[in-house]
Amino acid sequence: MRYFIFSALFLIANSSFTQKVLYTDVTVHVGNGTVIENAIVGCDADRFVLIKNALTSSFKAKNWDTIVSLQGQHMYPSFVATNTTLGLTEIDAVRATRDFDDVGEFNPHVRTQIAFNTESRVVETVRTNGVLLTQATPRGGRVSGASSIMRLFAWNWEDATVLKDDGIHINWPKSTQGGGWWAEPKPKKRNKNYASEILKLMRFFELAKAYDSNEVPFDQRLEAMKDCFVGTKRVYIHANELQQIHDVIDFVNAFKFPFPVIIGGYDAHLIGKKLKDANIPIMLDRIHGLPQIEDEATDLPYRIPALLKEQGIKFCLQGSGDMEAMNSRNLPFLAGTAMAYGLEEEAAVRSISLDPCEIIGIAADYGSIEKGKKASFFVSVGNALDMMTNDVTLICLDGVLRSTSNFQLELYKRYRDKYERQ
Amino acid sequence: MKKTLTFFILLLTAQLWSQYRPNNGVTASKANVILIKNANLYLGGSTNVLNAASILIKGDKIIEVGTKIKEPNGALIIDMEGRTIMPSFIELNSNIGVEKQSFEKKNNFAPQIESLKQNSFYWNQAVHPELNAGEKYKKDLKALRALNNFGVGYCLTRHNDGIIQGTAALVTAHGADLSKDMILDKAASFYSFSKGSSRQSYPSSQMGSIALLRQSFYDLKFYTESDPGFTDLSMEAWQDQNELPRFFITKDKLEILRAMKIAKEFNTEFIYVGSGNEYESLDALKGKDIKVILPINFPEAYDVSDPYISRLIPLSKLKHWELAPFNFKKLFENGISVSITTEGLKSSKQLWSNIRTILATGVSKFDVLDALTVRPAGLIGKSDEIGSLKIGMHASFSVYDLDPFEDKSAKINEVWLQGVQQPLNAFNSITLAGSYDINIDGFRRKVILNGNGEKPTCNSFELDASFKSIDSSKCKCDFQMSGNDISIKLVNRENTSAYLLRGKISKNGSIIEGAATAPDGSWKSWSALKVLGKKVKKDTPIKDTSYVGSCWFPNMAFGLDSSLTSSKYVFKNATVWTNEVQGILKETDVLVEDGKIVQVGNVDNTLTIDAEIIDASGMHLTSGIIDEHSHIAISKGVNEGGQAISAEVSIGHVVNSEDINIYRQLSGGVTSAQLLHGSANPIGGQSALVKLKWGASPEEMLIENAPGFIKFALGENVKQSNWGDFNTVRFPQTRMGVEQVFYDGFHRARQYKNEWLEYNKNRKGKKGISPRMDLELETLVEILDSKRFITCHSYVQSEINMLMHVADSMGFRVNTFTHILEGYKVADKMKNHGVGGSTFSDWWAYKYEVNDAIPYNAALMSEQGVTVAINSDDAEMGRRLNQEAAKAIKYGGLSQEEAWKLVTLNPAKLLHLDDRMGSIKVGKDADLVLWTHNPLSIMSKVQKTMIEGRVYYDAERNDVLATRNRLERARIIQKMALDNTARKPMRIYKHDKERFFHCDSHGEQGEIKTNLH
Repeated sequence: MRYFIFSALFLIANSSFTQKVLYTDVTVHVGNGTVIENAIVGCDADRFVLIKNALTSSFKAKNWDTIVSLQGQHMYPSFVATNTTLGLTEIDAVRATRDFDDVGEFNPHVRTQIAFNTESRVVETVRTNGVLLTQATPRGGRVSGASSIMRLFAWNWEDATVLKDDGIHINWPKSTQGGGWWAEPKPKKRNKNYASEILKLMRFFELAKAYDSNEVPFDQRLEAMKDCFVGTKRVYIHANELQQIHDVIDFVNAFKFPFPVIIGGYDAHLIGKKLKDANIPIMLDRIHGLPQIEDEATDLPYRIPALLKEQGIKFCLQGSGDMEAMNSRNLPFLAGTAMAYGLEEEAAVRSISLDPCEIIGIAADYGSIEKGKKASFFVSVGNALDMMTNDVTLICLDGVLRSTSNFQLELYKRYRDKYERQ
Repeated sequence: MKKTLTFFILLLTAQLWSQYRPNNGVTASKANVILIKNANLYLGGSTNVLNAASILIKGDKIIEVGTKIKEPNGALIIDMEGRTIMPSFIELNSNIGVEKQSFEKKNNFAPQIESLKQNSFYWNQAVHPELNAGEKYKKDLKALRALNNFGVGYCLTRHNDGIIQGTAALVTAHGADLSKDMILDKAASFYSFSKGSSRQSYPSSQMGSIALLRQSFYDLKFYTESDPGFTDLSMEAWQDQNELPRFFITKDKLEILRAMKIAKEFNTEFIYVGSGNEYESLDALKGKDIKVILPINFPEAYDVSDPYISRLIPLSKLKHWELAPFNFKKLFENGISVSITTEGLKSSKQLWSNIRTILATGVSKFDVLDALTVRPAGLIGKSDEIGSLKIGMHASFSVYDLDPFEDKSAKINEVWLQGVQQPLNAFNSITLAGSYDINIDGFRRKVILNGNGEKPTCNSFELDASFKSIDSSKCKCDFQMSGNDISIKLVNRENTSAYLLRGKISKNGSIIEGAATAPDGSWKSWSALKVLGKKVKKDTPIKDTSYVGSCWFPNMAFGLDSSLTSSKYVFKNATVWTNEVQGILKETDVLVEDGKIVQVGNVDNTLTIDAEIIDASGMHLTSGIIDEHSHIAISKGVNEGGQAISAEVSIGHVVNSEDINIYRQLSGGVTSAQLLHGSANPIGGQSALVKLKWGASPEEMLIENAPGFIKFALGENVKQSNWGDFNTVRFPQTRMGVEQVFYDGFHRARQYKNEWLEYNKNRKGKKGISPRMDLELETLVEILDSKRFITCHSYVQSEINMLMHVADSMGFRVNTFTHILEGYKVADKMKNHGVGGSTFSDWWAYKYEVNDAIPYNAALMSEQGVTVAINSDDAEMGRRLNQEAAKAIKYGGLSQEEAWKLVTLNPAKLLHLDDRMGSIKVGKDADLVLWTHNPLSIMSKVQKTMIEGRVYYDAERNDVLATRNRLERARIIQKMALDNTARKPMRIYKHDKERFFHCDSHGEQGEIKTNLH
């Protein structure tokens, strides 16, 4: 048994020897909406084995290989960046580094898992803010392809994979169209093809449902769709507009998908009851956004999480949009803003930990600091949802302590040293 | 004097020529004197109607008007009993008969840098004063007659294209004599902010258009006053237009304000062709002695039947729909000279219906008539010839069956132009409306005719033996009228046979008689009698929708009900972040008076008797956030990317005071911003330093006596690296070339400066020939003289270093590097040069040159003594700059006080405004923000944002405004829904996606989003 003072901990970072570690003197934000102040947290190999309040329970030091006092810091479960091209793109403006959007309208067979870059420099800068898992998500077309849930510390895409092909992504037809492109902008108007585009999508799904791999020649596309109907793949439908959301509900009812999810859902708060009855969770559009209609309240995007919570809709936060890969590191602060605008602190933590894990289907192992789950967490000096106090001192993924540094911190140190030597 | 004489001679010659035009055959006989009698006359320029009056015409002129005119011998007498006559309208905004110039189209996307004109014309294709509409004019009789239907007799037509459009001609359609068609060649010159058909890359923005217009005026002065040593055909033509009235086409009221600044600069006057929303800027327009021509094609109601679509319609558009008819009244009441253009109207019915709408707002019909006649005539110096019915003036007028000002069913019968009666195609004095019982030699039918409107309709029904309709099914039926002749086609129900009828209509329309061919070819006589049925009374109660909302400031969601006034305020018991040596003071009062901070500390109660007390207990008070790098509130283009150097353009000329993002930034505690030109070229345009005074005019937003700034840029954007494969033409395409552009610019500027120095030295009171005023080089000279400061978009250390070397060798200092993402690598060099850095908190990975960007940049540069700010470059992030500042605590460990200065005091220093902003200090501007928490905490929200002692954002008032917005929207949507059921034309809402400008947005519209900053 070794007592470590906290500052020496980085010595064992990235070591993978199996041991029992007990963390003491820590405030645990469990991830399920509760908080345990002055907690003790025990890990054995890659699992949590003990989470208790130190005031009501005691421990025997000899049962642990290592005991670490976290000196009143805060422990959070791994945050999860869903619906992002993180790891699939490196430099937005350089085409050669963009691996998330392939040619074709119906691409359910296209998979992000094998394009995931574990050495991405962008990934390095995201995990050091407490985001340890991501849903690598394809873009483009009507059906973009399949996402996979990936670890942000790995040697290759195989050991990065938490859940392979967790679902396929549908870009629901836009009920308004136009807008042109930046050099030749045109006004937007009602999409005249809306109905026929939906019909085309429906046909594709009907075909997929009727498909029997034993009867017909092998069809790569339809083969990839099978799991959607039995629930081994989720169906992620990207939709923001009121009209779209109504129609998505009809679509989901028509095919009775076991696990439908709406990504975006900007207008979802307007039809809360219907969504709740339909039992469709929302992965909410980046809330650090401007109101989509000129007349809307300036802070509406910030308040949507609280509005959804009030109406009992299951949701999580995500940050897709402009520069989404690099912006994944700001996921904690999306939750922070939601907290400032009406969501309780622990509900805000949950909205980027347990909630996304439940929605994407990895909650058995991830998303909260609970006995039996994978020991994946990070420690911050202060509230991790506030940039002023988010200061990550310890990262543990699957029971292994990981580096809290990245190339940006290294560059910072190099140049600071240069100036200090001058 | 000389001018009048020329006109006089011109007129005389015209008369002589018409006599010498050869005749084919013997001369047609013309009644020389015509008396029109018993008409009701609107004279124009008068405030009463002459009833039962006469007009005596001789040749093309009126020789007498009045109620007591004797019938002269030999005159043709026309009795117009009960008819209404008014002078022909004068349309000043027309391009009738003048085709646009066209150039060969290139078949690729490469930018066209030079003008395509292969002659010694001005270098820019959008500037063509040499185009003379009078020469290019080709009579378009059909279009002219269509205008005659509107009552328009005269048109000022022009080449409607480009920024300097050339001269316009006053034309009419005499009908009998072509030489009377051209009333006045070169009657006016026309201007606009739109480059039109020119595909030349410059200008690509409205500020570029403004700069080009200004430079052209300077070039004209130079060309006229000196010996340029070459011939420019454009300038040759333009210098002859100095005496002509100048018309300016605008597309928004803010464009009028912009053009007014140009008029002032060049001591000239424009007559503005407006866009219809001028009432929204009434305060800025009134008292300026301006003349405006207003369109009256009021917006139609939106189709609001789909609530999913109607929720997307901005309140600004709803309110404009309701208030547009008041435009004329508001301007007229405030002493602005108002004329009317019929441009954009679809029919004469719409014209008169909209005129009656204006009358319903409380305007006199005589004022409206003058706006169509006397006033436009005056604007082109023709009020002694046209526009009213007076002795000696053109005998040009329109004849209506009833008074169209008073009677909805009034129709134009005929027009007279210069004494000649013009038949109108739509002439029809009889209205056929109602049910007729037709008897064709015993064969009976019921026919319902409706000859009103543009498209006559007709329904027919077969009758049984007792002359009752067999059933309600209609049979095919058509009819046409010409004068009092009518032809009708009646088809039977089975669509197998037809009766073809021709007949004459009685004067009152109650009887029609004539001949017809039966299906067997036999001729029959027929007659029809109007069935005098009982009119079905509409009993639907009409909801009173006469209530009209007021105009807000600005006239959109969250607009203020009235402009704000400065009061005396005291913030009590706040935690005050002074940004001064006192640091953060607990439980402190701040007294504000006359827009300034007058006391910090415990303010005595006796001083606050007349002050509004704001209880700030538990809250934090800071100075306002200053965004060093913003692109909000800019109209029509943030980049003038047409040339590598565009120092002559200025964002200050195109500030848009009606961007909702102004209000959104206020809600995030931002009080001031530098609105920057984009980064499309190495030397961009001048900045606008503004305070975000929501509801004020663009001019009021500009910070008084602010120092001049200009945007420079380096790297991928100016090299056009990410603009696609066609954009490889403009120099520079590498970082090497960028350096040379700077040297070239500054060497030219030095030379230019010397030329002027030399000129001013030698002049000594004598009148010499001055050098050419060059707006681009003027600006560069300001930089050399340290009178204008550079904010330079920059990324990698090599280029940062390079620009500092350029500046050192040319003897000036770079003021600020913006973005400056590799600033941390050369922070010591920056410190030595004395340049500040304004950076992002944590952006990177969006393009190759930001590969080494690190979020520790701000902290590291600060530690090296560089003045550092954190900016937004983004409308969304701009309202969370407090959060962005807090990141400097996380990345690099700045203290809270230092972090807060990144968005307040430091940008104030970089903008040379720290003597009046950036901290809470007695004497500084009262630009203050009250926060619910520590402003750096993510929990913090803005309670109040104050600029110069006026509260522009208040969290509680915001809720009130939101409710008011909702009710106003509901009220107008209801009104529109009822308007919809009245079967008036509707328009479908087209959703304009909000567009945001970033550094490399191009064109006038911006873009939906971009990854490139």
